[in-house]
Order: sequence, then structure tokens, then C-alpha cells
Amino acid sequence: MMLLGLISWPYVRRHLVRSLLTTLGIVLGVAVFVGMHSANEAVLYAFHRTVDRIAGATHLQVSAGEAGFDEEVLERVQSLPEVRVAVPVIEAAVDTGLKGQGSLLVLAVDLTGDRSLRDYDLESGDEELIDDPLVFLAQPDSLMVTPEFAERNGLDINSRMPMWTMEGEKQFTIRAVMRSGGLASAFGGNLAIMDVYAAQKVFGRGRKFDRIDVAVTEGVTVERARVAIQRLLGPGFQVGPPSSRGQEFESLVSVYSITANISSAFALFIGMFIIYNSFAIAVTQRRSEIGILRALGATRGQVRTLFLVESGIAGFVGSLVGAMGGILLARGVAGFIAGLLQGVYGIAQRADEVATEPRLIAFAIGMGMATSVLAAWLPARNAARVDPVQALQKGKYQVLSAGENRIRRRAAALLGAGSVLCLLFGRSGWAFYGGYALTVVASLLLAPSLALWLAEALRPALKWIRPVEGALAADSLIQAPRRTSGTVAALMLSLAQVIGLAGIARGSYGSIVDWLATALNPDLFITTSQNLATRTFHFPESMGPELRKIPGIADVQMVRSARVTFRGGPVMVVSVEIAGIAKRARRRPVEGNERDMYRLAAAGEGVIVSDNLAELHQLHVGDVLEIAAPTGLLRLPVVGVVLDWSDQLGTVLMDRSVFTRHWRDDLVDIFRVYLAPGASAPDVKSRILERFAGSRRLFVLTNRDVRDYILRLTNQWLGLTYVQIAVAVLVALLGIVNTLTVSIIDRRRELGVLQAVGALRHQVRHTIWMEAIAVGTVGLVLGLALGSVNLYYVLQVAARDLSGMRVAYGFPVTLALWLVPIMLGASFVSALVRTRRVGGAWLARRGARIRVG
Amino acid sequence: MFHRTSAAVLALGLLVAAPGVGAQDARQIVQEAQRRTDARSQQYEGTLKVFDAKGRVTDKRWTFARHGSHGTSKAVLRFTAPPEVKGVALLVINHPERASDQWMWTPAIARERRIALQDRSTRFFGTDFSFEDLEERDVGQYEYWLLGEETVEGVRTWRIRSRPTHTKSSQYTSSILWIRQDRYAFVRIENYKDEQLVRRLVYRHLENVQGIWTARSLEMSDLRRKSRTVLSLEKLQYNVPLEDEDFTLQALRREQ
Amino acid sequence: MIRLADVSKRFNGKRPVVALDRITLAIDRGEMVSIVGPSGSGKSTLLNLIGGLDSATAGEVVIDGRKLSGLSDDGLTRVRRDKIGFIFQFFNLLPTLSCLENVSLPLHLRGWPKRKARARAGELLDLVQLGARVDHLPDELSGGERQRVAIARALSIYPPILLADEPTGNLDTATGDGILTLIRDLHARLGATMLIVTHDMTVATSCPRTIVLRDGRLVEDRRR
Repeated sequence: MMLLGLISWPYVRRHLVRSLLTTLGIVLGVAVFVGMHSANEAVLYAFHRTVDRIAGATHLQVSAGEAGFDEEVLERVQSLPEVRVAVPVIEAAVDTGLKGQGSLLVLAVDLTGDRSLRDYDLESGDEELIDDPLVFLAQPDSLMVTPEFAERNGLDINSRMPMWTMEGEKQFTIRAVMRSGGLASAFGGNLAIMDVYAAQKVFGRGRKFDRIDVAVTEGVTVERARVAIQRLLGPGFQVGPPSSRGQEFESLVSVYSITANISSAFALFIGMFIIYNSFAIAVTQRRSEIGILRALGATRGQVRTLFLVESGIAGFVGSLVGAMGGILLARGVAGFIAGLLQGVYGIAQRADEVATEPRLIAFAIGMGMATSVLAAWLPARNAARVDPVQALQKGKYQVLSAGENRIRRRAAALLGAGSVLCLLFGRSGWAFYGGYALTVVASLLLAPSLALWLAEALRPALKWIRPVEGALAADSLIQAPRRTSGTVAALMLSLAQVIGLAGIARGSYGSIVDWLATALNPDLFITTSQNLATRTFHFPESMGPELRKIPGIADVQMVRSARVTFRGGPVMVVSVEIAGIAKRARRRPVEGNERDMYRLAAAGEGVIVSDNLAELHQLHVGDVLEIAAPTGLLRLPVVGVVLDWSDQLGTVLMDRSVFTRHWRDDLVDIFRVYLAPGASAPDVKSRILERFAGSRRLFVLTNRDVRDYILRLTNQWLGLTYVQIAVAVLVALLGIVNTLTVSIIDRRRELGVLQAVGALRHQVRHTIWMEAIAVGTVGLVLGLALGSVNLYYVLQVAARDLSGMRVAYGFPVTLALWLVPIMLGASFVSALVRTRRVGGAWLARRGARIRVG
Repeated sequence: MFHRTSAAVLALGLLVAAPGVGAQDARQIVQEAQRRTDARSQQYEGTLKVFDAKGRVTDKRWTFARHGSHGTSKAVLRFTAPPEVKGVALLVINHPERASDQWMWTPAIARERRIALQDRSTRFFGTDFSFEDLEERDVGQYEYWLLGEETVEGVRTWRIRSRPTHTKSSQYTSSILWIRQDRYAFVRIENYKDEQLVRRLVYRHLENVQGIWTARSLEMSDLRRKSRTVLSLEKLQYNVPLEDEDFTLQALRREQ
Repeated sequence: MIRLADVSKRFNGKRPVVALDRITLAIDRGEMVSIVGPSGSGKSTLLNLIGGLDSATAGEVVIDGRKLSGLSDDGLTRVRRDKIGFIFQFFNLLPTLSCLENVSLPLHLRGWPKRKARARAGELLDLVQLGARVDHLPDELSGGERQRVAIARALSIYPPILLADEPTGNLDTATGDGILTLIRDLHARLGATMLIVTHDMTVATSCPRTIVLRDGRLVEDRRR
């Protein structure tokens, strides 16, 4: 350890900026990993905690997808002898009119029976909690809030607070404040209790409940009660302990985990090559130092350990910084994911605490350190092999032996074959991801050889530009592939990631625009919230005819969507009047016959599924779907598959008549409005707003609003691509500066000779510039090549595990063309950074040493 | 929520909460007390005053009507004050062989809600009565012992101890009842939980109404919460003519 | 102390070079020997073989009774670290370390505790009359002082053998004389076996024994 302080630290101090940049890859990889996983965990934890706190003494929960079920189910459940208490629940996350409070989770229950399930007053109560329980029930504006919420907002009993309802913003009255702890800490304290029957009215739920919370009779096992309830209600209902609600939620969140894992794996891989590169340089730069140490009696093992420990520390520091960054990142990401889940899936949780899971942090730091140590393995081995006699005499460099290169090529061929086999025969996730990994590793092994060939191919071109300098630059690459291979590999990886991300973004963007144009073509959309996804509130069906009467409206289509359970996972059921859709927004199916598809679906004899659902569940026309509905299992054949981007986990499109019949639900989420010829959208919009002013909470969105909203979401994906391009540029700068440093050190005799025989300084500089650009070019070419493969895998990942979205393979040509000047520019800039010193006193001093030596 | 014949029980001045007599004659005393309160129908206006530990008083008023006799009776209780709860009504339909059906009508949202069976130790809408206190229980569900005779406020009473046969069926471990020897009317009930007195019910202003001796004022004290509730019965009438269709959900809505 | 029997060293480059050709030599404990010869005569190679930095192509090198042939790299290193101190023409001090740290470096490589290593390094710097400059960096010292530090470093483990490769080659005459005096003084005090490769005839003649190499062969071994 003493050696570390004496030998390594001064070096790090001298090359502080580079040392810090070296760990950047690790920082990035660990930050992404920790950030995304902490965020996921925070969101999951918050969700589970909320579920847990709200569950109270609930043993079982009965639900039927998101659409809810009829009230009469409650009586049937209560009639079972296995059930001691069964209380109805409606849960909704709603906006309050209070500043900075975000959404409030409203838990609507029947307070007459609910107290046997949930502790509102923590038993020993000597103080009246609900001022008057009868008033609470008699007045539908009654709310019970947590003491935290009351305190934050300066509310007391009988205070009034605004809250968004079906009928717009309304004033509610605080009629009770819960005690702290337990239930009150659910949803970060932003919890309000109200009467379930009042909630039905306020949230437009009709005579429906979201779920029933059940406590079983004493002496009856929970499982027996579960079986009894399930048998009573049939397969259309989900009956399970409160904790099982997490499973569905986890499947939503896991999407982000996969993305995070791939991103951090790439970042770590890139980091690995940056570290490899930096350590290779350090070994070159410190060769004489190593020689001295060896002469003074340091064993090979000591030298190797020195470098490995250095890399371990670099990895540790990088990981630590990364972990801290990740925790910071997690806060933002958690809020983002939480908001998304709440908005898009209507699932209430509040991730306001990001707990730093020690195991996760330890794992991430271990991972970062392992990456770093692994990356430094070869340079450390080379350092240990430094011949002290040579090292003390002069700067001879060791060339990668031909044999080693051959071995790599063979290994690469073997791995490549393996990945092809995985692709051809592997169906499982392991085979797929294994193949992906094999492909990446094979291309990394091949990188030095390919770089060599490319450099040879580049030689004539460089020579043509500048006969002497060009040839020297190319030869520098050809003679020492090891010097460049780390940089080239890092560049290749980061560019491949750029291409992969850009490709999927470009592909999905095109597809989404296309979908928007055909499927979402109404002139106006009437919704209950500012976006299309939130489904806290609903419209009554009776609004349809009222809308049709408004002048300027030609056609109104009613859309009701609800998340339901299909094959154990949540999918979106969208019910529309298929006949109307067929007329107005006719789409060509991906699979199936267009005419039959619309005819059968409109007749309620089949459903249309989205391509991603078909992909995720291997569905084809003719397959019979079994969807859990409150009236029992709904069995309908697939009559067509269409391109649809409305839901990440898949969409089932069915006729409204089927939905209203099987879900006993005639509510509406969105009205699609087509204008009469000649009518102006703004006029009709204001007429609609006028017609329902004060009586309904509604938003009228124009087609452009909706498009912009969806494209804005899509653009967030593109944003990731730009981040990745920035990383690639950084990698290029750092890697090429490193490479040039080694190149100059290695060739100082040659460069000195060049100057001695009369080369002007700028000529020497040109050699170095050309070398930099050559490295950039090689990295670019290999990056684009691997990118084309990576894009294929990324699209497969998206189709397999992320959303089932089938995006056509399209190489992002424009972006690739943009990358040429960007990467070559970055190479040139790094060359400038390097030669600024070469041009000045630096080379002179080196030259002087050369002459003395 | 209410249990079984709770509304009817309120009409009977809560004497149902009193179990029968332990020894042969203790049980007979309780049975006789019950028999003497039998009537075809009943109607009154009730005033409910809750005095909490801090001395705050809340007032509520309701009208009450019961139609039919034990087991098959129907009752409607409708709040008339304060204004926030005005119009809230309870409909109770008793069945001889099973638990009663109960609905609560909330005029503000214009709908009824079904009230399910529920934990009996819970307080009845912020009063000192628990739902159990409002239940009608069969004499057979208890064991009785005659503890002796006692003069309470100048009146000779029997002091009777009762204990539920199934210990889990009640929140109380035991109760002590005082019944007037002259009129077989309840005077006082003390409810114990593990040897600790938790609730005391006192009957006052005994009057003969249409031949039935009825307490016009009932006071329940919760000794742990240090609060008490007084229920006064006004305009009490027995055997008034009432229509069956006034005791339906439709009738509840109509009254709106 | 040092025995070479028929030792040869060939470099197999594009043009094979015979650096040493069948050298047989014995140096006793406590001797002070100079090695002279023109450039490329194999002086440094001989020193490297004896120091275990390089291994012989043929023949046997024995240091303090230990045969070097057949030893692994770690074995050679162990012989080097326990028995040999090196003094170089260009000092080969680490520029980022202070004098004290440079001198204590070999001790750290042997895993000495920090405090003990520093104490020993301080003693040695006193011994080479640099006790006042312990915290200076090599760049802040004159050439002669740097060589003193290098000598102190070579002595830090009290090696039985000291190998010096042109110790005065990079110094002016006066300073070189000072270093030579120091080396002789130390030799007299510590009694280590000492080999000095030199061009400088003053240095060579000041040693009791001189070995002359030419074209990799031992051409003369004279004692005074």
C-alpha cells in the first residue's frame, strides 16, 4: 500500500484531468445502474408501502381489472360465511387545487364497516376523531385527511379545500383528521378518506366499486376464503392478498429495469475500454519507472498488483461518484417514473423517498471495480513484463505479437458463430441475450485486427493527401495496433449504442407519425384530463347525444379504455364503435383481412389486437383470447392485428357493445369528434366548452394538441440519443488524446529524427493530426458497422421484452452522416489538444533528451 | 351500522340489552319485562344529546316509526336535525330467521346504501351507544343469577347478573341489571369488560304510555371516554295505524 | 562471492550479436573491482547478468552461492532485492519522490513498515551527507547530490554487492571525484563487494582490481 502512495498517487496527481476522465465510463455506468434501479426500487417500495398501509387488516382484495364492477358483487361477497368483513373501495389519485401538493390519493370506503379493517384512530382514542360520523356520511363533500397533509396546508377540521372532480373543481370540507402513523403515512401522507358512495358520484363511477377489501372469518384460512370467493365470482375477478397487487405493478416497472441494464452495461463496457486505454498509456509512460522499480527489487507480482490496485481504486472512486450521482439521478427518475405510472396506468404511489439500498450500492460498486480491474488486467500484465534492462535504456515499445492477434481472431470467429447459433436456434431469453453479448464480445476481439486492416486501407489515402506525414501517420497505426485498439473499441461501442438508440427512435417515430395520421384522425378529442392517458374520471354515455346536437359536429365516437388482466398481465382494452372507426379511421391490418376484420369486430364476433400484444403473446388471427371480465371470462377470436402505439403492454380493440355488455360499464373516457364540412375547430371547441361549462370537467384537445403531446413523449427517446452522442464524443476526445500521447512517447525518437532531418514543426504536427483523424475514422467505420448489428438487437429487445413494438429496421443514415463530421471533428480537436504541447517546448525538451540518450 | 332489530330496540327503550334472569325466577323476571313492552307499532321523536369529555354537546333529533311486532317488524328512523344530517334515514327490515336488512338513505347524494353486519363493539355514529347496545338478543343466549334485591332511588329492584353463554358473542364479559319489582321495568344496566365497568345505562322518567311503562329518558355513559349520551323520547305513541309501503326503499326516496 | 563460468550472452535480433563470449570470472567478498572497455564491449551486459536483470544464454552465474540459471523471474528478483544494490549513470531517481522517499523505496518493496523505512533512509542520507535535504525533490538537487541519493538508495538494504554503471559518467570531474571518494569510503566502511563499470581511467585505477573487456571477451584482469 505504501507503494501506491509513493508511486501511483504522484502520477494521478500529475494527470489529474485524465485520471478523472478515465473513470468517467465507470461513473456513468454505475450512475445509470444505481439511478435507474434505486428509482425503480423507490417506486416499487412506495407502491408496496402504500398498498400495505392502505390494506390495514385486509386479508384479500377482490377486483376485476381497472373498470371496476357492480355494487351487487359486494352483497354476494358479504354473504359468504368465510367472509367476516367486506368493504367496498374506490381509489383515485386526484389533483388538489392546493399549491405544490401534487396529487392526493383518495381512498373512498364505506366508513360504517371500514373501521374493522383500518385503524383511523389507533384504538385507545380519547379524542373524537371524526367530529360527527353521521355528518361525514350525510355530506358528500366530507374528507378525512392525514395530520401531515393538514399541517402542510394549514387545514383544520371544517376547513375547506379544493379538489378536482367530475364536475370540475369543487370545494371539500375536512371533517376529520387521522392520527399519525399507519394508514396516515401511506402515499407520503397525501391521503384522504372519503365516503365510497360520494366518490362514485364525484368521480363519475356510476354504481361501481374498484375493489372489495375482505377480512376473513376467524378460524378460516385466507386461502380457503380466497377459493370460496373466486368460486362465487368466477374467473372474471381477481382475488388475492393485497401484496399481489404489486405483481402487475412490477411488470410495468420492469421495463425500465431492462432499459437501465442495457444502458449501464454499455456504459461500463465503454468505461472498460477507456480504462484499458488509459492504463495501457500509463504503462507506456511509466515504463522507466517500472524499470527502476524492477531493478530495485520489485517482483513482477508487485508491479502487476500495483496497477491492479490502482485500477481497483480508480474503479472504486468512479463507482462511488457514480453511485452518488445515481442516487441524485434516482430522485429525478423516480419522480418521472412515478408520474408516468400514475398518469398512464392510474396507479397511485408516491416515491418521495429514495432509499439507498446498501446491497444495490455494494453490487454497483463491486461491478464498477470489477470492470475497472478487468480492464486493467492486460496493461498490468504488460507492466509486469517490462524488461528492466530495456526500460532503463530507451523507449522501445513492445508490439502486439501476431500470434495473439490470431488467437483473438479465432476466438472472435468462434463467438460470432455462437451468436449466430443463438440467433438461429435460441428462443429463450438466455439464448437471445447470450447471443447479443457474444456478438459484442466477438466484435471487440476483432476490433484490433479490423483496425489494422482499415489502417492499411487508409494508408494510400493518407499518403495521397500528404506523402510523408500521411504515410508516417498510417504506419504509426499499423505498427502499433495495441496503442489504438482500446480507443477504437471504445469508440466503436459508443457509436454502436448511438446508432442503436437513434435507429429505434427514428423507426418508432416514423411508425408513430403514421399511426397518428390514420388512427388518431378526429378533429377534436374530448377528455377528462389534459392528457389522453389518465382515467380517474369518466363521462356518462348520455353526453354523446348531447354532443351530437352541437352545430358543426358531424360524428362522435365514444372510447372507453380500461386496463384488464390477460394471461396474468395487464393489457389495455379499448372499446370503440368499430363500425364508426371503420368508416373514419380505417387501417390496413398487419395480419388478417381488412374487410372481415372490421365486419366481425363491429358485429362483436371478434377483437382486433395491437401488433405489440400479438408479438408479446404470440397471437395470430383465429386465436381465441380469454379476457377476464366481471361477468366472467370473455372468449373472442382475434380477427385482425393492427399497428397501434397506444399502450406499451398491448391493446385489445373491441366493439363498444361487447364492452358495455361484459363489463356492465357504459362510461366514456374519450369522445372522438369529427367536424362537419366547413365547420371550424376553434368554433366547435368553444361551443362544446360553453355547452358543458360548470357542469363537467372536460378538456377539448385539437388533433394538433394530441399529436404534439404524443410526439413530445416520443422525442424524449430521441433525447437519450443525444446524450449517447455526447458520450461518444467524450470517448473520442479522451481516447484519442490518450492514444496520441502514447504514440508521441513511443515515437519520440522517430519524431526527433524527423525534426533533425529538417521536418518543420508543423509537418510533425500534421503527422499527429492525421493519425488522430485516422483513429477517428477507423472508430467511426467500426462503430457504424457494429451499430448496424446493435440496432438489430435493440429492436429485438424492444419487441421481445420492452413493449412488443415491431419497428422496421431502418439504419439512421442522416444521423450516421452527421456523425462523420462530429467524430472527425472531435478527433481533430483532441489532436490539437495534444499537439499544442508538441508544437511548443514539449517536443524540444523531448528532442533534447533523445539526443542525450 | 345497526344490528338486527336495533331500531325496534330503541323503541323499547333499550331494554333488550338486558339479558334474562339466571336462576329459574331470574330468567322469568327478564322474560316478563320483555312481554310487558309488546306493541303493534310505535312512533316517537327522539332527541339525542352527546356530552363529550371536554364538555362539548352535540344535538341530534330524529323521528322514529316502527310497524309490526317482534321478528317481522319494520322501522324507519329519520334525522331531522342538525341541518347537515337532516333527511338521512335508516330503514330496518327484520326477518325472524336471519339478520335484518338495513339501508341508510343519504339525501345529499340521493341514494341509499346497504349496511352490512359489522363489528358490534363499534360506536353508533359518534354516540356512547355501541351497535351491540342497540341489539335485541334472545334470553337464551345468556345465563342469569339473581344477586339479590336492592332499593334504587326509593324503588325496590331485583339485582341480576348476566353472562353470555358464548363468551365471544359479546364485547362484555358480564352485566348487572336492575329491574323494578313493581312494574318489571329496567332501571339500570352496568356492563363489565374483564371486571372493569365500561358502560352504564340509566333509565329515567318512567311513564305509563297507553298501558306500557316506558322510560322517556335513557342515559348511556362511557366510563373510559368520560362521555355520555342522553336520548329523550317525545310524542311517544303505541299502536298507531301505519302502512306497510311506508317501510320500503321507494318510500325512503319519496320522502325526499 | 560472484562467480561466472563460461558465461555467454547473445542477442537474437535481425542481426545476432554476441555481447559476452565465454567469460569466466571470480570476485571475492569485499573486493572492489572496476570494469573497463570501449562502447559495446559488453560491460553493461555483464553488470546486468550479475545483477539478475538479464539472464545468460550459456554458462553459469553464481551469486553468493546461488546459481542464477534456472531461477524464475521472481527468483532472480529475490536475489536482486536481497543481495544487490544498483547505482546508475543517470541516477534513475523517481522525480516525483523526495530524497527520503526515493531512498526508502527499496525498503517499501520489501514490505518494511513505514516508520522503520523512513528511519533507515534518514540514516543513509546522513551517511552520504545529505541529511539536510531529505524533503527535496531530485530536480532541486545538483548532479552530484542526486548521485549521492542514488547511492544511499542502493545501500538502503545493506546489500553485500553494489553494482555501479558509470557512476561518474554524467558528472563533471570534481563532482565525480567526490562521488568516487564517497564510494571508496563506503566500501571501506561497509565492506561490500563492489563492481564499477567505467570509462574513466581515474575511477578504474582507483580500484584494486580492473577487468578489461573487448568485443565481449575478457582480455585483461589485473590487480594492483
